[in-house]
Amino acid sequence: MSSAPPDTESGAGAGEQTGYYVYGILPGDVELTEEIRGIGDREVRLVCDGDLAALVSEVELIGPLGTAEDLEAHKEILDSVAAGAPVLPLRFGAVVTSEDAVVSELLEPHRDEFAAALEELEGRTEYMVKGQYDESAVLEEILSEDSEASRLREQIRGQDADATREERMKLGEIISNAIAAKREEDTEQLVSRLADHSVASVVREPTHELEAVHVAFLVDEEEEDDFVEVAEDLEADWEGRVELRLLGPMAPYDFVGTSQEDQA
Amino acid sequence: MSIAATQPGAGRSTRPEPSGLVDVIDTILDKGLVIDAYVRVSLVGIEVLTIDARIVIASVDTYLRFAEAVNRLDISQEKEGLPELVGDLTQGGARHKTKGALEGVGQKVRGLVDDITDGEEEREGSRRGRRGED
Repeated sequence: MSSAPPDTESGAGAGEQTGYYVYGILPGDVELTEEIRGIGDREVRLVCDGDLAALVSEVELIGPLGTAEDLEAHKEILDSVAAGAPVLPLRFGAVVTSEDAVVSELLEPHRDEFAAALEELEGRTEYMVKGQYDESAVLEEILSEDSEASRLREQIRGQDADATREERMKLGEIISNAIAAKREEDTEQLVSRLADHSVASVVREPTHELEAVHVAFLVDEEEEDDFVEVAEDLEADWEGRVELRLLGPMAPYDFVGTSQEDQA
Repeated sequence: MSIAATQPGAGRSTRPEPSGLVDVIDTILDKGLVIDAYVRVSLVGIEVLTIDARIVIASVDTYLRFAEAVNRLDISQEKEGLPELVGDLTQGGARHKTKGALEGVGQKVRGLVDDITDGEEEREGSRRGRRGED
């Protein structure tokens, strides 16, 4: 392997500390039509082996990985590739010692598994539906549905925060629980409304206390338009209540994984 | 690897919004194929700065914050159109999509993330085609 010369000028000495950063696995019949710069602004290449290819770039083994640029490079590269071919995205941070190892230890031993997974992903991408409750809207909703909450609201109104700490805690707890219940209901509704237009779905853990829904969907190409349309309908239905965002198409991060990881 | 199955198809159209950094963190640190399940010998143990993008869903702080939000609700109703408050309450939807979510991520990310949240950094150039197909 001697194509792209490393842009290090470290001379010699300490041994060239480079490894191979692996982004994902693709079918062997793909090619990159334009130059892509990856992590550390290194060129992204395909290491091909028969019907499989790994998307890699050299990486200097100096500092830790994980700057914002690193993270974005990883995702953007995979997402752009996913728009044209099936890809098995690797979790961020996979570095292998040599190009040979990419072939002999990653591609070769798992050829059948990877090929089968890629076949299943052919023509499919991931979409993410993420929604956050409008704070005042959801609070109003809860206060009108829960008499205890509205009673506590009256109690703390205009009172000193420390003096009513207990009431505030209680009110906050009621709200927190009510949001969790709404989240569950709304997630169910989202998944069932999109079920006809998706192959599979994975409900993600909430990342924000006002998060309403956070679900990954695997969508067939031919269903994409309908999928987006239904998602937009739901967005309209929830307007003012939930700020809904549709992310994608992206690489199917939620639909690959080790066998012990559960799947919807 | 477990993927449910149906027929692949053709024809692609819509492209909704791009992911913010928070979505990125959430996705690629937590999802995707885990290589060390497959490769043992030659995996380089390079350190990855990990960020816990999760928040504790129910905490004392959360409770008090919700109570405070209810209070603010009262104020904004009583004194209609108080601009700052209204802006504050509706912030969830606005341009700064990452803002609300970033709060949950907390301090640790800030250092890494700071100036890129607005970064519409051009990383095109990744158009690609399949060889012997189409």
